[in-house]
Amino acid sequence: MKALSFPALIIFFLLSGCAHGPDTAVSPAAPAAPPQTRQVTAVPDSAKIPPEPPVKSSATETDLYGDIQGPEVDYGNTEIPGKAGGETTGEIADPLEPFNRAMYQFNDRLYFWVLKPVAQGYGKVVPETARVSVSNFFTNAAFPIRFVNCLLQANFSGAAEELGRFTVNTLWGVGGLLDPASSKEINLTKQDEDFGQTLGTYGLGQGFFINWPLLGPSSPRDTVGMVGDLFLTPSTYFSPWYAVAGIRAYEKVNSTSLKIGDYESLKEAAIDPYVAVRDAYIQYRLKKVHRQGGLSPGEKPAAPLN
Amino acid sequence: MKRRIVLLSIMTLLLFSLPAYAGPASDAVLASVNKGLEVLRDPKLKADSAKEIKKEKLRLIYNQLFDDVELSKRTLARNWNNLNIEQRKEFVVLFRQVLEKAYIDRILAYTDEKIVFEREVPVSATQAEVQTKVVTASKEIPITYRVLLKEGAWKVYDVVIENVSLVLNYRTQFNDILAKNTPEQLLEILRKKVKGQ
Repeated sequence: MKALSFPALIIFFLLSGCAHGPDTAVSPAAPAAPPQTRQVTAVPDSAKIPPEPPVKSSATETDLYGDIQGPEVDYGNTEIPGKAGGETTGEIADPLEPFNRAMYQFNDRLYFWVLKPVAQGYGKVVPETARVSVSNFFTNAAFPIRFVNCLLQANFSGAAEELGRFTVNTLWGVGGLLDPASSKEINLTKQDEDFGQTLGTYGLGQGFFINWPLLGPSSPRDTVGMVGDLFLTPSTYFSPWYAVAGIRAYEKVNSTSLKIGDYESLKEAAIDPYVAVRDAYIQYRLKKVHRQGGLSPGEKPAAPLN
Repeated sequence: MKRRIVLLSIMTLLLFSLPAYAGPASDAVLASVNKGLEVLRDPKLKADSAKEIKKEKLRLIYNQLFDDVELSKRTLARNWNNLNIEQRKEFVVLFRQVLEKAYIDRILAYTDEKIVFEREVPVSATQAEVQTKVVTASKEIPITYRVLLKEGAWKVYDVVIENVSLVLNYRTQFNDILAKNTPEQLLEILRKKVKGQ
């Protein structure tokens, strides 16, 4: 059995997919960018008001398109308010770029040739509500990761919330298939914590970027984090090893079936998809480390807009 | 009595259309988002042939809400000064088109997702973050609008989807491209992207 556990761990590790991959969902509320060669904003205005001397419009024009002056030249940290120093921008060292780019190609093909068709077929057979339930089940089963990492980050209210969620969802949510803890009445928020984030809160930086085959975007820190989290994933302790691998693969197919189109639109929107994915990953992880838990207390959501 | 009923119904109507006072920045963003939703839900524009009309209406709303030039400046950041005025103007137009191309289909595919206002976080007297989320059957997507007060109007200069800032994401890409290419080559890449290659 012991001999089996190492290969099992490797396979499991490989199949776990980009566990921290950002949900690059693009929402319907995102900006609709109008094109059409609407040349300069200042010009039509001055055209409407004939007495205005043309000098003025060119003045506003150079103003509008003028150089960025002074300290504002690098807008830098203004994008992340309240977080000065340390790693604030989305930049990361990428010494392995040639390898990472090759792995990006590999993962891209794997997605379009294998994962996506399988997930689409699965999605045709299994209704969405059932797939959401399956996803809830896996989320609930991964409770130890979130609970332990809340404790490791001294986020005790988060740990309590997680414990409450696990109890409620396991007992009243049919073993975790449903998520009554997130309902308005109970309103316990999922604390999306993992060991990579814990290491981040201890002050460990990402280091540099690694794009693993199958696993996707990561870094030395987050790779250690992923391995650490494996020990807290119940299915790791199943045997035989191919059962573990199967569970992991199924989880991946199920979650992919719920977000088909996300990766496609990210890729479509990007000028350089590899850089876009790398940056999205780094930004996403950075925010997660900075932000403890789901929402801070007193930040409960308000009513729907419409 | 009758007057009271009228007044009461008007007040309830107001209550439903204005979901909790949130601050001037949120009001500006939410008003535009609501206008956009109205266009998307308009039964008269359901037909495929009305797609262009819809797009045109959404463009107008985008113009009101977004500060194109500010968005481009922040995206290019220190590289902005390396472009000449003509290149900057073209960049703003091209970047707009790239964004429209990337997002318009997702926006037009809008069905019945709910958009929920979360909170407004003031950053400074002239800067704020409006946090919202889109709720679908299987997930919630947090979307934050970063807004700037300019000449009395709140304008969006960045959108953060699922913790990923649009401006920062494109900035990293443009930095990477401009480290190896000239501004003219960047514009050429964007022209090709807009033409769809």
